[in-house]
Amino acid sequence: MTEEEDYDHIMGVLREERITPYNEDELETVLSIGHCINCGLCLQHCPVVAGVGVERFSGPRSIAVELSRSPPEFWATGDKVFLCTGCGTCREVCPKNVEVPEIVNMIRARIFEHRPDLVPQELHSVDKTLLEHGLAFAPWEDLEDKAESRDMRLERLNLPFYPNRVKERAEVLFYPGCQAEERAQEVREAGKVVLEAFDVDYTLLGDFNCCGLPAILLGDDKTARELAKHLKEKVGALGTKKIVTTCAGCTSNLSYLSERDGWDIPVYHTLEYLIEEIGIESLTEKLTQSEDTQSVTVHSPCHLIRHMSRQLAEYAAQIIEAMPNAEYTESNLHDSCCGGGGMVGYHSPDVAQGVVEENLRAIERTGVSRVVAPCPLCTAHIEEMLFRTGSSVEVDDLTVFIAQRLPKKE
Amino acid sequence: MDLDTDVLVIGGGMAGLAAGIRSQERGANTTLIRKGQSATSYSSGAIDVSGYLPGGSQQLLSAREGIEAITSLYPLHPYSILGFGSADNDDVPGLAIERVGQAVEWLTKHLKSTPAQLYGGIDSNLEGITLVGTKKPTALLQQTIWPGEFAVDDEGVMLFLGIKGVSDLNPKIASKTFLDNQARTGEPPHKVGNASLDIAPFGHGYNLSTTNIARWLDREENLVTFIEQVKKKAEQFGATYVALPPILGLEENLKNQKALQEATGASVFELLAFPPSVPSFRLQRGLERVFIEKGGHLLIGHEAEPCGIESSKITEVLARSPRRKVEITTRSVVLASGKYIGGGLAATVEGLRETVFGLMTVTDEFRESGKTRPQRLTNVVSLSPESHSLFGCGLSVDQFLRPVNPDGDATAENLFAAGSILAGYSYAMEKCGLGVALATGHYAGETAAANATGGGV
Ligand SMILES: Cc1cc2nc3c(=O)[nH]c(=O)nc-3n(C[C@H](O)[C@H](O)[C@H](O)COP(=O)(O)OP(=O)(O)OC[C@H]3O[C@@H](n4cnc5c(N)ncnc54)[C@H](O)[C@@H]3O)c2cc1C
Ligand code: SF4
Ligand code: SF4
Repeated sequence: MTEEEDYDHIMGVLREERITPYNEDELETVLSIGHCINCGLCLQHCPVVAGVGVERFSGPRSIAVELSRSPPEFWATGDKVFLCTGCGTCREVCPKNVEVPEIVNMIRARIFEHRPDLVPQELHSVDKTLLEHGLAFAPWEDLEDKAESRDMRLERLNLPFYPNRVKERAEVLFYPGCQAEERAQEVREAGKVVLEAFDVDYTLLGDFNCCGLPAILLGDDKTARELAKHLKEKVGALGTKKIVTTCAGCTSNLSYLSERDGWDIPVYHTLEYLIEEIGIESLTEKLTQSEDTQSVTVHSPCHLIRHMSRQLAEYAAQIIEAMPNAEYTESNLHDSCCGGGGMVGYHSPDVAQGVVEENLRAIERTGVSRVVAPCPLCTAHIEEMLFRTGSSVEVDDLTVFIAQRLPKKE
Repeated sequence: MDLDTDVLVIGGGMAGLAAGIRSQERGANTTLIRKGQSATSYSSGAIDVSGYLPGGSQQLLSAREGIEAITSLYPLHPYSILGFGSADNDDVPGLAIERVGQAVEWLTKHLKSTPAQLYGGIDSNLEGITLVGTKKPTALLQQTIWPGEFAVDDEGVMLFLGIKGVSDLNPKIASKTFLDNQARTGEPPHKVGNASLDIAPFGHGYNLSTTNIARWLDREENLVTFIEQVKKKAEQFGATYVALPPILGLEENLKNQKALQEATGASVFELLAFPPSVPSFRLQRGLERVFIEKGGHLLIGHEAEPCGIESSKITEVLARSPRRKVEITTRSVVLASGKYIGGGLAATVEGLRETVFGLMTVTDEFRESGKTRPQRLTNVVSLSPESHSLFGCGLSVDQFLRPVNPDGDATAENLFAAGSILAGYSYAMEKCGLGVALATGHYAGETAAANATGGGV
């Protein structure tokens, strides 16, 4: 046999055994699993285990020492690995840097490839939307309706509308993410308000497409890589120097992609951009008084504090403290997770509900009137959950909350 | 991302947090980075200061007695180093006892009224009861683990109360072991019972953990049913002591213990646990909260990147989180990165390595161990009273806890080390793990703060 035939033969055997070889960029994750000492520290902290118990979700230790160990049997782990919200709490407490949230995505990808019938149905619908539209949500059929919905939101929140800008060689590409692009349009507009307020030279994408995070989370690795490729091409063509986004998931995924695929462009969340590029002094100068004093706590998205850096929670606090009449109260919740991550809410709302309850209790304990989250997805999720429990606490996206306190341009 | 701080603490276990809290208290702006949790989060709920003499045979009546003996016999033990003081100090044991005692009192004060509230001190070792029914000498126990003195009262009845589905405590075996021990020593209580409760937080009575139950008991609505069940069993056995697995709460354990004692009239307490445990969860979280309350900057999920020491001072450390890098400029550094589990020391076929600054490591006999294969430092018997030399390896430090180079000089004038990364003792054998971490952390925090704010040790 020639070398090529050898290779084909081996690949054939692997396919029969339902094994997909690891990609080069997955090796570090795979090796990290081998460092697990089976100590169980992560189990004490995993918010899903806390919410629904280890019988329903066997937890990160089990993922590290059992579920990730036998590629031919990955398909048999679907009822567990699809319940991980990817919050990253396990990795943060693990003494051995075991990459549980990443290995979960790799296992999901292999289940998706070999046994798509074992991927929750609801995720296939999301995948279909991604394939059809390059977006996580089906786009509006009527663009006028979309504009009307946007204007209603802006009016309610007292935010201005600035015309969309698309241009080459701008300093910053503003990437709102699917949620803000299609649903929480006020967040997209708020992002623009922030950039306009500081005269940032920015552009939007002419033709928006998803960063691929939902595809990664549901296991469609191929689509994820394709979406990432499109995006890279579009970003490259625009020739911007920085990317700014209002979404926690997008920030973390784009940061990852930028490094993995060599985009060579730094990615900032609005919070980072404000603190690191604009500076807290310039921001403070511009922040205006709101009508009444607000007591505020922050929900810190997993994708910001655990997939990127806890320093971002600090940034959020700094910004709120700089607001003339907002009182910042720290929530003493440690292992927070809104339950909305990992696409769990799509197919197992009871699990998402079990997870978010701890959060809601912590929010109520702070006694604040408002919770803000630097991510439109978390905001939507928490808002819905608080509404269901009949809570009077209001919820805002943090970028919106900031934009409301910035001067409007003529 | 950039950050400027007076004192940077690397490591978030007992040593790092004690250093951080102390340094912050001493007026230095302090940032603490930790990549994960570690040995401190594996501990049992007992804070050991000195339980046995090195060699393991002699059980000590008090930590004070232990420190006195250790500082006289082992001049390079971390407790002895704490006793060095200035050149004209001729009472090493005295100073060591003073410093350890102060650290213990200081910690007790800070943890008062928190879920990790402590009972005990260095003047008398307590006996905590473990999940398997044995006893363990230790200086301090978490309040809810302290059973109270076993009065010389022959009528006392001890009830081991398990929970269906929580495998940590097998009440039958624990009560038998406990009873055998009582019979041998002749100490009360002589009557022992065992039973199990059936509570099902997720609707089933199997595959539950102590953390699950503790979280469940943190919610007031669940306490009422729980008290009723415990009361019923306590009455049935006429129990004067009720031993539970460590489940009384992650947050509300003090309040829950009180409610249970009032309802049953018995001493209700938790047993010392297996790692990782509910009590160590309370300790870790309690320490972190004190640090934050004191104004410290806690940056979890960040790992100090390896870097060499180029000059006599460390001014910059790079910390990495999953997708960000933070450049930290600092005036003092406390290295409290733990041993093999924590990651401060790495033992590979090439030898023993300190992982952040590449500092010199030594064996328990204070010989350079950079090229010593770890296999040479273990015993054939895994559980031998001599322990393993490997446990005694680590950093050699001067009287200010600054790691030294082969010439015996401080590697950097503003770098201090604390906790299990230090050489010269074995926590496993001496039962002094958290005590050494606390006392050296406390002192390192003080010195690092003085160095950062006053310029010099
Ligand atoms: C299983 C077990 C049970 C024990 N039980 C008890 C007990 O019941 N009572 C008792 O008194 N002692 C006990 N001990 C001993 C005691 O827990 C330890 O000696 C003590 O906790 C050590 O504290 P430390 O702060 O030095 O290290 P650790 O608690 O190990 O902390 C080290 C810290 O450094 C961090 N770190 C390491 N490298 C880096 C880096 N490059 N960047 C950032 N952070 C880093 C780690 O993430 C961790 O946060 C036990 C030990 C073990 C292993
Ligand atoms: S990422 Fe979060 S939900 Fe998933 S196993 Fe880890 S702690 Fe649990
Ligand atoms: S993943 Fe980490 S924390 Fe969890 S059991 Fe393994 S080593 Fe322990």
